[in-house]
Amino acid sequence: MLAYIDPGSGSLLIQAIIALFFGAIFYLKASWRKFISLFSRKKDTSEDKSDG
Amino acid sequence: MKDMNQVSSSFRDPAGFVFVKDGTVYRQINKEYEHDYRKLMDSGLYEALTKKKWLVCHEEVDITRDELAYKIIRPQQIPFISYSYEWCFSQLKDAALLTLDIQELALRFGMSLKDSSSYNIQFLPKPIFIDTTSFEEYEEGSAWVGYRQFCRHFLAPLALMSRCNIYLNKMLTSYIDGIPLDLASSLLPARTKFNISLLSHIHLHAKSESFDGAQKPKKYKVSKLGLLGIIDNLRSCVKRMQLKKAHSSIWSDYYEKELNYSDEAFTAKKEIVAEMLKSISSQSVVDLGANRGIFSRVASEMGIFTISSDIDPIAVERNYLEAKAKKRDHLLPLVVDITNPSPGIGWENEERESFFTRAPETTALALALIHHLVIANNLPFGKVAAFFSRVCQHLIIEFVPKSDSQVERMLRHRKDIFGFYTADNFEADFAKEFTIKRTVPVEGSNRVIYLMERK
Repeated sequence: MLAYIDPGSGSLLIQAIIALFFGAIFYLKASWRKFISLFSRKKDTSEDKSDG
Repeated sequence: MKDMNQVSSSFRDPAGFVFVKDGTVYRQINKEYEHDYRKLMDSGLYEALTKKKWLVCHEEVDITRDELAYKIIRPQQIPFISYSYEWCFSQLKDAALLTLDIQELALRFGMSLKDSSSYNIQFLPKPIFIDTTSFEEYEEGSAWVGYRQFCRHFLAPLALMSRCNIYLNKMLTSYIDGIPLDLASSLLPARTKFNISLLSHIHLHAKSESFDGAQKPKKYKVSKLGLLGIIDNLRSCVKRMQLKKAHSSIWSDYYEKELNYSDEAFTAKKEIVAEMLKSISSQSVVDLGANRGIFSRVASEMGIFTISSDIDPIAVERNYLEAKAKKRDHLLPLVVDITNPSPGIGWENEERESFFTRAPETTALALALIHHLVIANNLPFGKVAAFFSRVCQHLIIEFVPKSDSQVERMLRHRKDIFGFYTADNFEADFAKEFTIKRTVPVEGSNRVIYLMERK
């Protein structure tokens, strides 16, 4: 799809390059959050059980 | 359509345009944009965006249209269109964050922003996106078309304001499509090259612009994860940006230092302003020289839409943060220098109108302002009166006499060429343009507040 504004060919190139880097960081951050939330959820359930 | 005036800024995007009919703003959506418009409406994105108050809501209307039209919509009306060079730092920052939030949400619904201009954002007093035709269907693997525009319109001015000088967003009046990245890169301190975000989005981005890909068009693939990564990084970069501590000013401390007013005079002044505003039942108010907006709030709390303008970006910053925190829906703080207001810029100097072309011609508040215009800026009373008669119907203006400590301070180091600066001459010159309705001395001070009506 072609844009109505000029995205700039150099800009598209740099975007393609940095997307790899920032995409990887984003993936790691998201995975880490998932990992942490897995623990906190387990903790919550165990607390629930002890409450019950 | 004879009675339909296309808005002068609305010509770039073939998806549609904005026009004004009988005082109401409408947007024509062209047939060319039908597919994307349907996707916006049917995918649930429109509902999600308007529910969060991120995008103006609209209704489809059945009015005259040209042969290109697919639909005409009437969007939520915005009381005043302001531009990024009139915003304080936090307004620009919030507008940037909203653009990123919207792009992220759009991707989730299979759409993407096809532009990311700062002109798509307005304030009520929180930022809101006004361009319903900015969304396009997202194609897997495609880059974010608006990325460069985002960096020029938001990231570059924010970085310059926080790392160099708060006044540098004024460069946006010279560069209608945002600050060129090579210029931003050359102005930013060298140490910003050690910041991975600024290195990528500004310095390397600027270098890449000299790369000419025109000989061999190539499609660069960017995964969705990559796009989300870029958005995430831009967001944390913008969030971390702060003004330098040194950026405080005389004006923002004006009230704290209590240079000119006793508490009694301050309360009295508020009451006078409130009473005068009640007596004229104004639809809107433009407060000129509002500082942190203490007196603008007198108007906005009465439910009157109030533009609270001041020359000082820190005073406006405080005003905006307070307005946002207290949800003051009728207050719009803006940075405006009355002695050099935002000019008309862009194509034929009409694409973005000057501040006073846009400002509502109703009531002006000019409290503790006259001495700055006449003494600090050497303007004769006649010129000031003529100016006010062009910009407002009603004028609430305070006369600050020479005996006032503030005026004495102004004249301390300069020749007093202002023999004409008396209340009598002030009244005589203003009486040529206005009918003086009321004159009320401010108790506890030697100042006087006038209510005037244009002849």
